[in-house]
Amino acid sequence: MARVTQIMPADAPGGLPEKAARLVYWLFGAFTRVFSIVLLLAAWEILARSGTFTHFQLPAFSEVVERIGSDAWSGDLWINTALTLYRALTAFAICAVFGVIIGMAMSRSAIANWFFDPIISVGFPMPKIAFLPVVILWLGVYDVSKITIIVIDAIFPVIAATVIAIQGVERELIWSARNMGANNRELLTQIVLPAASPQIMTGLQVALPLSLIVAVVAEMLMGGYGLGGAMMTASRFANSTGVFAGIVEIAVVGYCLVKVMALIRRRLLIWHQESNEPTTA
Amino acid sequence: MAAVRDASAVMAAPAQIVVDGVSHLYRPPRGRAVLALERVSLEVQNREFIALLGPSGCGKSTLLYLIGGFLPAETGAIRVDGNPVAGPGPDRGIVFQHFALFPWKTVRGNILYGLERQGMPREEREKRALDFIELVGLSGFEDSFPSQLSGGMRQRCAIARTLAFDPKILLMDEPFGALDAQTRGLMQSELLRIWQRTPKTVIFVTHDVQEAVYLADRVAVMSARPGRIKTIVDTKFDKTDPHVHKAKAFVEKVDELWDLVKDEALKAQGVRAP
Repeated sequence: MARVTQIMPADAPGGLPEKAARLVYWLFGAFTRVFSIVLLLAAWEILARSGTFTHFQLPAFSEVVERIGSDAWSGDLWINTALTLYRALTAFAICAVFGVIIGMAMSRSAIANWFFDPIISVGFPMPKIAFLPVVILWLGVYDVSKITIIVIDAIFPVIAATVIAIQGVERELIWSARNMGANNRELLTQIVLPAASPQIMTGLQVALPLSLIVAVVAEMLMGGYGLGGAMMTASRFANSTGVFAGIVEIAVVGYCLVKVMALIRRRLLIWHQESNEPTTA
Repeated sequence: MAAVRDASAVMAAPAQIVVDGVSHLYRPPRGRAVLALERVSLEVQNREFIALLGPSGCGKSTLLYLIGGFLPAETGAIRVDGNPVAGPGPDRGIVFQHFALFPWKTVRGNILYGLERQGMPREEREKRALDFIELVGLSGFEDSFPSQLSGGMRQRCAIARTLAFDPKILLMDEPFGALDAQTRGLMQSELLRIWQRTPKTVIFVTHDVQEAVYLADRVAVMSARPGRIKTIVDTKFDKTDPHVHKAKAFVEKVDELWDLVKDEALKAQGVRAP
């Protein structure tokens, strides 16, 4: 703000000019943050129009935007986005609930830990999408199988984050609560879970984009409606504009999801050290 | 040197805390178990302020955790008011070096938590929380989160949180160890002021000789490897005297204790005493 008032003429205190200057300042700030993206898109447009590539290899960005516009007008864009989001978010919710429950069970019960720990160790680094043929065989090609494969993929970071978060809760916090008379249940719900919540939240922030990625991949491999499926359909019809439109749509949806998640984190963890510090995004 | 309280009356009463031949084995996740405490015995009178003094690693915090019921004793027994210690309880309130405040709760929320667990009615606990916030001088910061407070303020909040549920015994684990020297000095006189207003038995763990002599009625010097109580020294001074630090007797007492601790500190570091 100090900078804004400095560039203002001294005889114009407050009023419209200052508001306008503030707006310009804000727009400039927003522009600098997305500068690299703008540069990339401009390069794409110039390259496509220069004739270096055929139209089939690289349609111009403006054409892709036009295509997205017509998809939005016809309603296809909304149906596909809604379906992909429905699959990704349903699976994410399942991951969040059961991932935290399994993680809590593992850190509190030796039996649960004995059972799940090897599965997590083997399963986490594995490309779970390899299970897709099995999931299709068992559950078909519709929503249930897509949601299942997303859960299989995205639940691992939630479980791992929960286990590490609960292990990391300071002994002194638990002792303090015990000292004040908290019983086991109160200790878990009132002390351990809130104390572990920043790291659990980090696990969820990994699981959310992963859910979207797997949703799109599963749709691409299984076909049908959804952003991934629409891209594969466009590809089969040699419609490269449609394919690039899908890529842009997925990028925008993913960006919005991650942003919303970061907002939720800031609201939920208002007490956390990080919320007193400026964020990078 | 005027004694703060009548010593003979205190000595006649049965001890409030009896630590009788207590040993504790520290078992790290990997490696050999270490004998942290070996057959430690100690009696603490009602409303006494005793300091446990020793180099780091001598088991003074372990002894405090055993009295608090946070760790189990390997051998021996600890009795508080005649009852054996079986676990943590609100009759023994603890204050940790790193405050252990609940970071997701405000100052008020932290203090209210113990009162809620004690089943105090809402109106009463709200009032009590405000009283203790005022007692430690945190008025105006009721709705601040711990991350927004300075170290000294966090420790004052932690002390208020523990005092609020009215423990008979206050266990303090190097409570001022994480504070800078100026804040520590202020907090020491503040603690004495609060202690005189809400008289309680205090067991105060520290490795700061001056702090121990200044605050405590008695100082138990502990030796390292295994942890034992080497000797207990009377350190009663008139705490209301602002110049007590400079009194000859005080300085001599500090020197005497410093000599006792120095040997142990060298031993704890693995250096043979000269």
